[in-house]
Amino acid sequence: EGFEVTYLPVGSDGLIDLDRLVKEIRPDTGLVSVMAVNNEIGVVQPVEEIGKICKEFNVPFHTDAAQALGKIKVDVEKWNVSLMSLSGHKIYGPKGVGALYLRRRPRIRVEPQMNGGGQERGIRSGTVPTPLVVGMGAACELAMKEMEYDENRIKGLQERLLNGIREKIDGVVVNGSMDRRYVGNLNLSFAYVEGESLLMGLKEVAVSSGSACTSASLEPSYVLRALGVDEDMAHTSIRFGIGRFTTEEEIDRAVELTVKQVEKLREMSPLYEMVKEGIDIKQIQWAQH
Amino acid sequence: MAASGAGVPMRREVLQLYRSLLRVTRQFCDYNIREYSKRRTMDAFRDNKNLRDPSQLSAAFSHGKAQLEVAKRQSLLYSLYPPKVKSIMDF
Repeated sequence: EGFEVTYLPVGSDGLIDLDRLVKEIRPDTGLVSVMAVNNEIGVVQPVEEIGKICKEFNVPFHTDAAQALGKIKVDVEKWNVSLMSLSGHKIYGPKGVGALYLRRRPRIRVEPQMNGGGQERGIRSGTVPTPLVVGMGAACELAMKEMEYDENRIKGLQERLLNGIREKIDGVVVNGSMDRRYVGNLNLSFAYVEGESLLMGLKEVAVSSGSACTSASLEPSYVLRALGVDEDMAHTSIRFGIGRFTTEEEIDRAVELTVKQVEKLREMSPLYEMVKEGIDIKQIQWAQH
Repeated sequence: MAASGAGVPMRREVLQLYRSLLRVTRQFCDYNIREYSKRRTMDAFRDNKNLRDPSQLSAAFSHGKAQLEVAKRQSLLYSLYPPKVKSIMDF
């Protein structure tokens, strides 16, 4: 038993190629699963278009909307999703609770993960964690009311961060499309600087290289590799997250610390010295001892 | 429950509510929550300052009063288990 998985490539802006999706859908395709908002680079996939394609081919569409909920407009009818994964703590709710949206018409059938008391029509056996669920509901309600306010504010903060950094240093690349993105997630690569050393110097700023989910491995993030980012730039990426509770002072402090650390690392870097002298590092023939 | 006895607030009451909210939010131990609640209060009152319709005014006022209750309760709860380490921004 098992299933064949077809992985779709993404373009250098992080977006799925819709024509490729249409080509890869087979008569026996059971499910199309696309993340709505990527957690590492913040890119928003064209879910509406993907939903239309899935409807055309009558294939169920699942999306991971954990990072999308409360941040961009989620409309299950417009998106034509049959299944949607949601997470409580991503919308400032309690940790330890999530939800899976299952469409009613046309009904999508799932097999239960655990068998037991048969709650929720046999799909989710077990006792509902009431405080967590109420918390998630309240968080969703608030997120609905505050979405526009939060988005405007976070957009301003993101520009402040990016412009603040770009004013002081060059060689800063934003990974992922600049137009189709969630404003609170900014993934930057700093040329000639190594990601982990940058992180170690940014002790006062909570940022990550890659995402929390991949913290165990030392490999450069699979997301960036899929974007086609060069190995050396992939190793140097760090992700800034901006949220409802981020303040202007925190942004300014993050800019100050990041610029200082990047400049310090570049000064120590012999590669950067060579670049400044005009040598093209890609042309170097490294001697083997 | 219609109108819940609030009625249309007078200017004095609105200012009193504003000051009470800011006073309570100053007591939050967490830097981010403190800054957020202060900023959100100021922005909300500023956005509503041109409201003239009585039902909108009393709705906004009741909402503000409800938020004040939430803030009072939460600042008490947070102070029961204050974090041992302060935010870096508080130094």
